[in-house]
Amino acid sequence: MIHSLFLINSSGDIFLEKHWKSVVSRSVCDYFFEAQERATEAENVPPVIPTPHHYLLSVYRHKIFFVAVIQTEVPPLFVIEFLHRVVDTFQDYFGVCSEPVIKDNVVVVYEVLEEMLDNGFPLATESNILKELIKPPTILRTVVNTITGSTNVGDQLPTGQLSVVPWRRTGVKYTNNEAYFDVIEEIDAIIDKSGSTITAEIQGVIDACVKLTGMPDLTLSFMNPRLLDDVSFHPCVRFKRWESERILSFIPPDGNFRLLSYHVSAQNLVAIPVYVKHNISFRDSSSLGRFEITVGPKQTMGKTIEGVTVLSQMPRGVLNMSLIPSQGTHTFDPVTKMLSWDVGKINPQKLPSLKGTMSLQAGASKPDENPTINLQFKIQQLAISGLKVNRLDMYGEKYKPFKGIKYMTKAGKFQVRT
Amino acid sequence: MPYLGSEDVVKELKKALCNPHVQADRLRYRNAIQRVIRHMTQGLDMSGVFMEIVKASATVDIVQKKLVYLYMCTYAPLKPDLALLAINTLCKDCSDPNPMVRGLALRSMCSLRMPGVQEYIQQPILNGLRDKASYVRRVAVLGCAKMYNLHGDSEVDGALVHELYSLLRDQDPIVVVNCLRSLEEILKHEGGVVINKPIAHHLLNRMSKLDQWGQAEVLTFLLRYQPRSEEELFDILNLLDSFLKSSSPGVVIGATKLFLILAKKFPHVQTDVLMRVKGPLLAACSSESRELCFVALCHVRQILHSLPGHFSSHYKKFFCSYWEPHYIKLQKVEVLCELVNDENVQQVLEELRGYCTDVSVDFAQAAIFAIGGIARTYTDQCVQILTELLGLRQEHITTVVVQTFRDLVWLCPQCTEAVCQALPGCEENIQDSEGKQALIWLLGVHGDRISNAPYVLEDFVENVKSETFPAVKMELLTALLRLFLSRPAECQDMLGRLLYYCIEEEKDMAVRDRGLFYYRLLLLGIDEVKRILCSPKSDPSLGLLEDQPERPVNSWASDFNTLAPVYGKARWATIFKHQGTEHCGPKLPHTASLATSGHLISEENKERVQELQDSEALMLVPSCQLTAEYFEKTWLSLEVAHQQVLPWQGEVHPDTLQMALQVVNIQTIAMSRVGAQPWKAYLGAQDGAGCLFLTELLLEPENSKLQISVKQSEKRTEILSSFISVLETVIGTIGDMKS
Repeated sequence: MIHSLFLINSSGDIFLEKHWKSVVSRSVCDYFFEAQERATEAENVPPVIPTPHHYLLSVYRHKIFFVAVIQTEVPPLFVIEFLHRVVDTFQDYFGVCSEPVIKDNVVVVYEVLEEMLDNGFPLATESNILKELIKPPTILRTVVNTITGSTNVGDQLPTGQLSVVPWRRTGVKYTNNEAYFDVIEEIDAIIDKSGSTITAEIQGVIDACVKLTGMPDLTLSFMNPRLLDDVSFHPCVRFKRWESERILSFIPPDGNFRLLSYHVSAQNLVAIPVYVKHNISFRDSSSLGRFEITVGPKQTMGKTIEGVTVLSQMPRGVLNMSLIPSQGTHTFDPVTKMLSWDVGKINPQKLPSLKGTMSLQAGASKPDENPTINLQFKIQQLAISGLKVNRLDMYGEKYKPFKGIKYMTKAGKFQVRT
Repeated sequence: MPYLGSEDVVKELKKALCNPHVQADRLRYRNAIQRVIRHMTQGLDMSGVFMEIVKASATVDIVQKKLVYLYMCTYAPLKPDLALLAINTLCKDCSDPNPMVRGLALRSMCSLRMPGVQEYIQQPILNGLRDKASYVRRVAVLGCAKMYNLHGDSEVDGALVHELYSLLRDQDPIVVVNCLRSLEEILKHEGGVVINKPIAHHLLNRMSKLDQWGQAEVLTFLLRYQPRSEEELFDILNLLDSFLKSSSPGVVIGATKLFLILAKKFPHVQTDVLMRVKGPLLAACSSESRELCFVALCHVRQILHSLPGHFSSHYKKFFCSYWEPHYIKLQKVEVLCELVNDENVQQVLEELRGYCTDVSVDFAQAAIFAIGGIARTYTDQCVQILTELLGLRQEHITTVVVQTFRDLVWLCPQCTEAVCQALPGCEENIQDSEGKQALIWLLGVHGDRISNAPYVLEDFVENVKSETFPAVKMELLTALLRLFLSRPAECQDMLGRLLYYCIEEEKDMAVRDRGLFYYRLLLLGIDEVKRILCSPKSDPSLGLLEDQPERPVNSWASDFNTLAPVYGKARWATIFKHQGTEHCGPKLPHTASLATSGHLISEENKERVQELQDSEALMLVPSCQLTAEYFEKTWLSLEVAHQQVLPWQGEVHPDTLQMALQVVNIQTIAMSRVGAQPWKAYLGAQDGAGCLFLTELLLEPENSKLQISVKQSEKRTEILSSFISVLETVIGTIGDMKS
């Protein structure tokens, strides 16, 4: 299925290759390089590239292209999902997934890839099973290994593979039994010039960290389950029970996992927590333009908006900008024409603003397009859709676990047109 | 793989590996091996230290073993004789008490890829198939496929195949999936693994135990199974139901495909399934992963071919945001272009209008072409937007707008007037060959309506010497000759100069020949020129037949969830042919003739056009102008000469019908609005002898019948019957296109 994998950095060097069947020559990547050259930016390299004898399917993450070489017909989604899983696993193992880190840990990377695929077919991809086969490197373990000469490789077979519940190993034991759930919602929105919403939707996930002894059976209920119109579950969730009672009932995997992901796209349900007031004008005659933006809170249910950053790609005609922020720091890169403003917290009494002038190319006509503003922000302790967990119960075990739930709202692709 | 400068490294490592002090220290020894592996992964040729590494394989350290095996799998094909030395250690490891060591050794041994290894691995594989650890069984099952691949020509071992089939009942889900994968490879010359009823049901029941990869693959294998009865079919569909809600888009799409294929005789089930995956599919379209988005969008387009209205209410999901990569933006624009309807056309056009001034030239041009596509249905609004775009005086915009105009005028003649008014002035902003050609063509064909046409062309004639594109010169010759026919006084002198230049000075043979051809044609007299050059100026029927609405779901269901929707079937077919039969997938089309994209009219439709013209034994007058009052008066005064009922499914698209009738010179007098019940239309036509045909179409959707009543001003039955056959053909054609 997946014949070979090449890891290519954005300057076009192959820094790692792995073959699961016969060795495919590196020259197959020439087709990829061609496409890379044609695309102006790395993001624009198409994910599927046909070549005379192979197909190259790639994903681009952390400035690395993961290029899979395929020889027979395959479902494209399958391969792309798998590549993402590979990246997630690396990230899980090494904390970050970057070229130097992969190069440093090349041996572990190879071992992991060897276990993930055999003969081109996915084998073990669950992170907690993999981690039992090959233990992730940590600073402490590296030190211990150097002293004692022990290894990163588990010498016992993962027990999870023998249990009746495939995602949970048997005989789990913890002294502190705890179950934590994070409800994280991301708002994707496009806001038009006048401030009205063109599209808005919420992509939510519930990530869990469950460390419970034995075989616990959990049920999780919501105050307002009807909110979730498009849900997909971790395989552990009993689908029939959800359909009939709208209750999540499951035997959890051990450790970290994503319990469910959902979408809220009915427009009236999506509250927009921030607004941006902007006044960006170019004049035909003068070589100066005015620039002024203000960010303020809208529907935040009394919570503070933090971690606000504003990013905007200015038109090519803009030579430089002289701006004064009322708070935070800003930079403008005259080469890429990228303006970024790190705002921080929004204080509703004193709204942050960024004012000043832009100097334009002399003599050139005024730019046709106005810049688009991209916004990043975070709101703690709030799920913007209003989703609330009602209660969490545990059956099947006798002890009392610690339970906790956290809410968080973030900006996803949040864009304001001007 | 050879790499300059690797020799020193190899020498140094060789020394380190041979050093007894290093060998004695476990850590240093392992470190040296790790360095070998690191160089290997970066493409350096490390085969020089093979001997030393083989020696390192005799160890109890499991990490060292892993590294050594990794090395051997890479270089064994280069040094088969040395690799044989390691086989003994591997064989011994295959009976190690630790299942992990057994699995590792077996996997490495099967991956050695060197001739002659088969005799050594056969027994360990057979033992592995009966191992009590599922980890080893998984490896052994895939090992069978690897062994078979090593000796591709050898006979399929019946006993082994039997053993694998029986392992399909293994309790470990991954062993089950691996069996399928393995059998598929071993039996590829016999069409792959056979899925009979017991196997199919066994797999279906195990589905929920599999991981997402297993599920996706089993769903693909199940495509081969044909349920015996309708009852069984629906049982299967019920079992599969929950997979439409899976968290993995791959599984969702895989399940959808299985539904579509299994329910190919039940269109309502298919529609229902597509309805239900709408949510997951849209979610994938806005997924974090760009690549997933892209593939999902390709599938959305595929669905739109059959159900044009399917995503119309979600059009906003397909609005582009600034940060998205190009390939996604281009797909989204295509999708937007396909899902416009009366309700969202305004918003979609506004959005597309915004894209037209995008920084990226490609994207801006794609957006303009998309507006041009929508203009076939919503002409006035689009032409207005395009005209405004000309006002920006940007080169890359103007050239595409003019090209869009050219196509539009050809397909929708009603917009000619507006286009002609917009054209003057844009010649200053066109530099490229395509744009120039389009402009010159428009000036030539519709020059009689554009006052400054001869002067614009004159500029081109003046500069013809510095013109670099021969295609532009050819277009210029034709256009000028055409314009000469309608405005001779202004063009005669120019035409003379151009012909002189082309014949005497031009170096490009094709242009020169074209010049000579026109010159000789002119010698034959003006009537002959007119006969040859004055072809029709537009052909609305082309547009009508081109955007064939609604291909049946079954026509693409087999391509769903393959690479075909991503880069087109034609492309796929050529790539596939390159591959030859060696990697033969069982379900691929072998010829490129299936590809219809790229042709304006597919073969089938060409025949139909032919048919239409042949049946016109009676000559209907094209310019028959009946007023509504006159029609009403005549209608009431006449008796019904013929009445007939045709089958009809669903709604009527008045525009389509009107255009189709226009092609055969039947005029539409009046029509009820879309969705009215019952739906009525009145048509009029006149033949060469002045005989009037008045027709009423009455559609009652509930019993899906279309009643035709025809009245005739003179009683001539033979003409009446041929008129009716024309009408039937037109209605039949439209009906076919819908279903």
